[in-house]
Parts: sequence; structure tokens; C-alpha cells
Amino acid sequence: MTADEISTIKEMPNNDYFVSGHGACPGCGVAIAVNNIMRILGSDTTVYVPASCLIVFSALYPTSAFRTPLLFTAFENTGAVITGIKAAQRRRGIEGTVVGIAGDGGTFDIGLQALSGAAERQEDVLYICVDNEAYMNTGIQRSGSTPFGAWTTTTPVGKVTQGKRQMKKDVMDLVIAHDPEYAATLSIAHYNDFIRKVEKAKHKSGFRFLHVLTPCVPGWRTEASKSVEIAKLAVETGMWTLFEYEEGEARSTYKPHTMRPVTEYLHMQGRFRHMDNDDLNTLQRWLCAKWYYHYGHDVEQPACAIYNGEKELHFDGDPLHGV
Amino acid sequence: MAAQTLAEAAILGGHHAQAFPYFGAERRGAPVRAFTRIDDKRISIRSQIYEPDMVVILDETLLEIDPVVDGLRSNGSAVVNTRKAPSELDIGVSVRCATVDATSVAIEALKAPVVNTAMLGAVAKVLDLVTLENIQKAIADRFGEKLGPRAAEANVLAAQLAYDGTKEGRCLGARSIVQRRMWLPEWDEVPTGVALEPEHIEGVAVGPGSSIQNMTGTWRTSSPKYDREKCIRCLRCWFTCPDVCIKRLEDDHVKVDYRYCKGCGICADVCPVDAIDMVKGVHEW
Amino acid sequence: MVMKALSADHAVAWGVRLAKAEVIPAFPITPQTLIMELLAEFISNGELDADLIPAESEHSVMSVAVGASAGGVRTFTATASQGLALMHEMLYAVPQNRLPIVMVNVNRTLGAAGGIWAEHNDSMPERESGWMQVYVEDSQEALDMTLQAYRIAEDERVLLPVMVCLDGFILSHTVEKVEVPEQGEVDAFLPAFVPRSSLDPSEPVMMNPIVPPEYTTEMRYQLDRAMDDSRNVVHQVDEAFKAAFGRGYGGLIDEYMMDDAEFALIVLGTAASTARAAVDELRAEGRKVGLIKLRFMRPFPHDELRRACSGLKALGVFDRSVSFNRYGPVFTEVSGSLCGSGVPITDHIGGLGGRDITVRDMRKVFSLIEASVEEGKVKRVYWHGLREAKG
Repeated sequence: MTADEISTIKEMPNNDYFVSGHGACPGCGVAIAVNNIMRILGSDTTVYVPASCLIVFSALYPTSAFRTPLLFTAFENTGAVITGIKAAQRRRGIEGTVVGIAGDGGTFDIGLQALSGAAERQEDVLYICVDNEAYMNTGIQRSGSTPFGAWTTTTPVGKVTQGKRQMKKDVMDLVIAHDPEYAATLSIAHYNDFIRKVEKAKHKSGFRFLHVLTPCVPGWRTEASKSVEIAKLAVETGMWTLFEYEEGEARSTYKPHTMRPVTEYLHMQGRFRHMDNDDLNTLQRWLCAKWYYHYGHDVEQPACAIYNGEKELHFDGDPLHGV
Repeated sequence: MAAQTLAEAAILGGHHAQAFPYFGAERRGAPVRAFTRIDDKRISIRSQIYEPDMVVILDETLLEIDPVVDGLRSNGSAVVNTRKAPSELDIGVSVRCATVDATSVAIEALKAPVVNTAMLGAVAKVLDLVTLENIQKAIADRFGEKLGPRAAEANVLAAQLAYDGTKEGRCLGARSIVQRRMWLPEWDEVPTGVALEPEHIEGVAVGPGSSIQNMTGTWRTSSPKYDREKCIRCLRCWFTCPDVCIKRLEDDHVKVDYRYCKGCGICADVCPVDAIDMVKGVHEW
Repeated sequence: MVMKALSADHAVAWGVRLAKAEVIPAFPITPQTLIMELLAEFISNGELDADLIPAESEHSVMSVAVGASAGGVRTFTATASQGLALMHEMLYAVPQNRLPIVMVNVNRTLGAAGGIWAEHNDSMPERESGWMQVYVEDSQEALDMTLQAYRIAEDERVLLPVMVCLDGFILSHTVEKVEVPEQGEVDAFLPAFVPRSSLDPSEPVMMNPIVPPEYTTEMRYQLDRAMDDSRNVVHQVDEAFKAAFGRGYGGLIDEYMMDDAEFALIVLGTAASTARAAVDELRAEGRKVGLIKLRFMRPFPHDELRRACSGLKALGVFDRSVSFNRYGPVFTEVSGSLCGSGVPITDHIGGLGGRDITVRDMRKVFSLIEASVEEGKVKRVYWHGLREAKG
């Protein structure tokens, strides 16, 4: 990193390129991420947003919350459209960042092919996935990113099955398999880590991928004020890990002191309230394996050693549940 | 959901009814409108309602920002969530009016300011086409199935409390109805393609950055109060505000731009020194 | 000017080289692949300064093209059948954004019951997408229309994408004599592309956000008018091309022996060539037949067809695709335009899946058109070459 690169909140420019008046829900994690990404990327940025909450709440003709150029067309083509924009701008001598900001559905599922294409061609673009772990724009349907056990409208809590039965897809591993110039995971609660990674991605050339966990108030059934706190707990419990990949190697950028039991994270979210002991154990076991995969023996995992089945979470009768 | 429940109550009473939302692009918390049509024969109209017999206003502050009573018939009626009595309330058109403090009712019955079921109780009081019994049955059906029996019970109670607390009368029509300013170009005035540069057309900002004219502060139900003395200028609130309404000053103190604050409370939650307090209600400091 | 022996695919590639397209996303599909292969060769040898972007699917090809054209550079691509179908969604992103992309579609059957041979059931369904569509009949026209297409598409009054359609194998892989113009002549005819607005951070524009119902009708109408106005531009560009290169194609339609014709056939693509040969034979036998080569499906030559067909005793339409239970698409379109003209029209479906169309077939078509006024009971649609059921 060069000396003039920014790495703390204080050093961030105080210029907004994603402005007020957008229609995101109160407490929206995507809005927090995009606001700061745009502050760091700055004015020389061209943005493509595929079908997602982001395009709907930020750009409704004739208005836009982006002060930079913005394009939208479809759902599954972020990797391809930014390829085309970059090719045109390079030929015209326009310098700056061409960034695609897609959701988890647009990245993990329907957009995976175009993402792989752009990564394999080593296009000189920045691809950002704002991950709220379901198709929130269409009203909370499960995606390849939805974690195990979570309620969505297509993984309902019924008499036979309760919540999603599959684990979250590891899209970072898929991206890293393309040996990109840079790839990193970000959390809106780990500010300096977030800033440093966006800054790093901005200044590299080649294919860059940033994966941000962005809590969703209606989709996760959380309190609007807790979006940042939940993102923080995601890291402390291993539901999210902070690392970066460059020059062929992945390394952790933040290691929690000890692993907190996943129930602390799940308790704050209505989407997990129905989970029973079996499912909690299944998820905790999976997390322990993931924890080891990322941190090795560096960080203790008492949650795995002591975990013997906490009381079931259960729906607590909150009438807001689902409104 | 309120419009659908009202339609279901009317159907339970032997009428024909239809309910539908206006599908806008706003997210949770943004003003939305929904329509219910009730008739004694099969309803064949599929358009939105432009001249309603009744307007139900779930948030009185909407009167300041939206022409909610536009088209309301002079012999029609309004049901409004407010602490005021009908005679103290000015909605811009003098009609039969019922008022209820649905927010207090909801907080009492549901522990949350979600007023739709309480408002249905008030509607039952003034609308001959539905009974309170059928409204409650419809609430129990719709909420019970989706959210469980306890949620159903609480919402049924909200309707009852609101029904009991509804005041009837006639409201005032002195204020002028706000008109929404829209740019509605003729076909040959629309810039070629679906593209816009940043500019002002007929007083409306369009193109890049123009969302700044949307005053999302009207969504707010609680407001952040900033204590400059306590502030350690860490800027975490500035970083984490989803609505870009915490403004960073030269010296890294901050200022809340209440025109846009939706009241999510993240700033108060992330502040390490409790320099921001969330206060119930719409305030500015 | 250089004379070469070129297939239509290679003629197109030469056209793209002369037009100096800058970004060329492509994905291989038979029978289009020869185009992108030759373009790759031109680029690799430094004969064309362009970015060939080997996207991972046709959907991505059109997405790259949209990004590049919105980014403000001249963009070309080519596809066929299944590839065009995979692009379908992205085709719609182009016209309303007024991006003057030129694409060659090498017509090929769209499966199921599909092969690699010529049929128009791939491009015909895309008439509603807002792309201009021109069908060519030989390699020279393929090259010339690639050049004309850019001048039409980039005209301020048009700003619409153009799809140049040519029949797979019958044309794409058939080598014939082609005049390849000099670069200087082409540069004079086709000036460099200057985008109206583009994605450039120094002059930010918002392109294609979500559009609420308050604006859609006006935007659609604007596009409808642009498509209608493009008819004049097509004629003007053809005139200018003729002045520059000595070859003209008649604009939206090309009439052959129509001055005193009593019976005529409307046909597009390579079948027009074969039909022309049939007309020559029939004329030699004293029969008053003529031919209308329908060049553009969009914009549709409504006025031109009404004028050209007035006074005919009977008219036939040749369709190389079918809308099941509803004749062929060209027939439906022509019938719509000639409604009230009093000219009886029959539809002739043939050449499906690439089945060969001979002069004899075309003679039979003309006989049926002639017969359609004589007999009392006429079928409206004939499936040529169909092995009829014995029962």
C-alpha cells in the first residue's frame, strides 16, 4: 500500500456520490455499503447495477441516487456489461473504475456464468456483490447464498420442513478458482478493513471482486438499528469471515479472539427463530469446519468444544414477525 | 394487508370486494397506497380508484406531502390516525370524518407502531358495509394463518380498542391540498433513449444525483438527537448511515440532515459514547 | 476496389473491417463462426484495430455489446438461431436505449426439430424487439448492407440497432464474386461514430433506470416514430451508397418485372434469387409475373407494398417459417398492409429446416398464385414439398 492510500474513516473523502433521497428501507445494509464504496471510488466511476433492490431504490426514472454514470439492463449479466463498458472507455482513453454492483442472487445464481466469464478473461473491472442472503427485491425468496435453516418465503417454516435445508454456497472459493487480481470479503461493521479493501481494489487493475455482507431488515426480520451490530456478530460467530486473496494467496484480515456460539447471531434475527436443536447443531458443526478452514488453529473455537445444544430458539410471539 | 383484510371482511358480510396495492418501487417504510372496492354485484372495474367514497389515512403527516384526499367525494368520508378530534383536524376537504389514535392503540396491543389493524377497527365503526365482527374475523384469518394465533389475538384486540376509541364528526377543509410536482413531458420532449443528464426540468431535478429532492425524512417515527459535547468525532455514525443524512463537518463533528433521516437508529447503536439518542416521534434539533 | 471470391460470412467480416468496428463480442455458433474467425484473424494481424471479446454465451455477447455501445464506440456482433434466442432478453435493451449496434444473424433453424440449416424462425420472432431487420440475398449485398447498416443505425433520426439477416449455408458458406471497396471510399461514406451520449464520468448520465408507467407510453411512442422515420433514412442511405459505389438495392423493397405484372410473389433472402430465375423463365413463356424482394421486415414497407401491389390480379407470399395455425409471419404482415386492397393473397411455406428451394418449386408457386383467381375454392396456405397424407 502506498502512503497516500486511505485506510481509516478519518482519511475517507467527504464527497458523496451516492446521495440521500433513495428509497431503501430504514437500516438497509446495501445502502451503507454502496454509500461508502462510492465515497472511496469517487467521481471517476461508472456504475452498472443489475436487477436488485439497489437499482429499484436508487434509480427510478427520472431520478437517480448515483451522481456518477449509471446503467441498468437485466439480472444475469453484470460481468458482461461491465466488460463492454470498460472496453469502450479504454478505447476512448477514459480512465477510472468500471464497477458492477450486484446482489447475491445476481452473483451466486443467475449471474454466476457472466461473473465467471469476466473473471476468466481477467477483465479490468471491479465486481462487487452486496450479499443480503436472499432475493429481497422480489420479496425474500431463497438464493444460493441463503444460510442453512433460514426462513424465506420459498423455504417456509412448515409442518414437514422448516427453513432452508442447504448450506450457503461459497462464492468466494469459486471466484478465487479464477485466480483474480484481487478478491476480498467485507463487513459493514469492520470499517477500516472495509475501507482498506475498497481502496486496494480501486487501485489495482485486472479482475477484482469484493463480497460484502449487507444485513436486510425485512428479510432477516431484524430491528433497523441493529444492521451493523448483526454484521459484526456474523464475523464473531464465523457466519462471515474477513479475508483477502491476492497474488495466489488468501489471508485473514481480521481474526476474532474467540468463536462465539452461532445462537448469539441467530437470536437477533426472526428468520432463524424456528430452528430446533438438531438444526442448530448442524449449523454449528458446519461453522466449526468453516472456522478451521479459514483460521486453522490460530483462533480457539470454544463454541465447538462446549456446544451441547442450547435451548431451542422458538418463535417468541412477536406480532411484528412477518409484518 | 389492511386493504385485503377489509375486502375479506366485506366478503364475509356477503358483499363482493376487491383489494389491490399500488405497486411502486419504494421499500419498507415508504408511503404506499392500497385500494379496496366493495359492491353488491361482481366487480368488473380493474383500474385504480380516483374518486373514493372513503379515504383511510394511516399517517396524518402524509397530508403534508401527498395529495391523499384528491378526488374524495364531498359526500364521502375520511378515517384518520391522529390524536385530534375530527373538528380539530384539517384534511383539506370538509367531509364526514372519524379519528382514532391508532399509534397508541397499536403500541398498547402490539407493542409496535404498526397501525393497519387498529385502523380497520376504526373503519368498521363508520363503514356500514362491514361489521367489527367480520373485520376481526378477517384479521384472525389473515394474521393467524401467517403469523400464528398470538399475533392474530393481539391484532384483533387492536381493532377492538380502536373501534372503541374512534371519534366521529366532521373535519375541516381549510388547508390547500399539496400537489405533487411531477415532470410529465410530451413524447417528443422526452430526451432520446432512457437517459438523462443531471439537470432541472420544470422545477424537477432529473438524472444523476437527483434523488436528493426526495424528502425521505417523512418516513421517520423516531429521531436521532446528537450531543456535540459527548461526540469523540470517530465518524462511525457518518460511515454507517444508510441514508447519507449524517453530515460530516470540517472538524469531524457531525450534523443530522433531518430532511432525509428515516429514523433507523443505527447511528445511535454504533456510537461508542452514547452521543446520539433515538427519541420517539418526528423531531429536529 | 478489389475483386474477391468470398462467402457471405467472409464478406460480412470484410464489411466490419472496413466499417472499423471497435468492440466485437462474439460466441461461436454455426453457421456464423466464419465471421468471427476472420475478424479474429484481421485483429491478430493488425489489419483491424478492435477488441474481440470472446464472451461465454450469446446472452453475455449482447450484454457486452450493450455496455460497449453505451460506452460510446462502434460495436458489432454476429449470431445465429439458438444464439439469437439466448440473446432475446438483451435484444430488448438495445433499441429503447437507442444504441446503434449492428448484428449479423445467419438464419438457421431454431430447435426443437432444428438443425444447422436455413430457416427464418430464429429472426422472425424478434420483429417486435425494436431492431431494424434487413434480409440479404448474396455476398455482395451482405457486405454492402453491413456498411449501410452502420450509416442507417447511427443517423441522428434513427439511432436504432440493425440486424442483417442472411441464410445459413445457402449464403453464409457459398463463395461468389464480391467487390471489396477501398478503405478511403468507405471512410468517405461512413464517418466515424460520434455517440449522442455515453457512459463517461466527465459527463455523467443515468441510463435505463426503472421506468414507471408515467413515462413508458411516451418512450414507446418515440421509438415507434423513430422506426417509422427510419424508412426515409433507408432510402437516402441506399441512394448515397449507389452514388459512392455504383450499387443500389431499392431501399425497403426491390421490385423485379413489376411494371406490367398481373401476378407477383413477395419473398425475402436467398429464395428471392431463385424466384427471380423463375420469373425470367415464365416471362419468356409470356406470363405476366413479377417479383417483390422484401428487404426490410422492420421498418415494414407498408406504403411501398400497397403501391407496388395495386392492380395485381393475385399475390403470393413466400415464408421460410411458420406461426403454427396462423400461416407464416411474412404473410400475416403483408396481409395487414394490403387489407382492403382487394388483391387475393396466398401463403407459400417452404424451405423449412433448410430444405432446398429450386426454380421448379418457384414455378409451381407462381402457378398456384395464377390459379388462385381462376378456381372458386382456393387454399390460403400451401406447404411446398409437403409429403401429403395418403388418406
